[in-house]
Amino acid sequence: MHVVSPSASTGRSTGRRAVLRPLGVAAVALIGVGYVANVDPNTPGHYPTCPFLAVTGWYCPGCGTLRAVHALGHGDLMTALARNPFAVVALGYVVVTWVLWLQRSARGRSLRWLAPPWVLYGVLAAILMFWVLRNVPGWTWLSPA
Amino acid sequence: MSDYGSTPPPPPPPLTPYSSAEVQGAPPPNYLVWAILSTLLCCLPLGIASIVFSTQVNSKWALGDVAGAQDASVKAKNFAMWGAILGVVINVVVVVIFVAGGVLSTRTGSGY
Repeated sequence: MHVVSPSASTGRSTGRRAVLRPLGVAAVALIGVGYVANVDPNTPGHYPTCPFLAVTGWYCPGCGTLRAVHALGHGDLMTALARNPFAVVALGYVVVTWVLWLQRSARGRSLRWLAPPWVLYGVLAAILMFWVLRNVPGWTWLSPA
Repeated sequence: MSDYGSTPPPPPPPLTPYSSAEVQGAPPPNYLVWAILSTLLCCLPLGIASIVFSTQVNSKWALGDVAGAQDASVKAKNFAMWGAILGVVINVVVVVIFVAGGVLSTRTGSGY
């Protein structure tokens, strides 16, 4: 009559070693953010242009992400939102997910819950709409320019 | 507390209530974070495909289709990974071409 979670029974993902992966991912992410914060993507020539933009002339959902991360690295949330609002929201989601991952790793638990499907359909629809609308003239608040 | 020794054995510790997920086992990861990062940073339709498969992980799991959810999970991971790899490769190729052409410094800066 006792509940043993699958990961706890293997004994592999419990303890301090289990948190090394999320901590390692965070370290790599912070190095990346630090680089983008210091090497300004607003300066031409620092980074290659988005291949989708270069080929089609249209913005992709990711265009403006480097400049948004650069602005966030300098604590400038409004500029970050102006360059790519989706990136700012997505990075918030990434941080929350990372905290939950760290918690699960520290407690030796496996994933137990998935969001209801309509949430993900909504996310997909929002991203596709964002992709189209940021290329529509007049929707400059969505475009990275 | 004074009659502790005379009481019957204490009741067993409360069981964590079963959720539907625990009955079926752990759900497969949907890799949505990697799918979104691939879409954001690599600008390729592969990232969107990865998000579609992430969505299928959740919808198939909700319907009880465990095998289908696991299949979608693998596809979501692979599409995010190949999107990232292809994005890196394309960017490296672009940089090499521009450096070789000597036009890197004259690019107008409307990149990522």
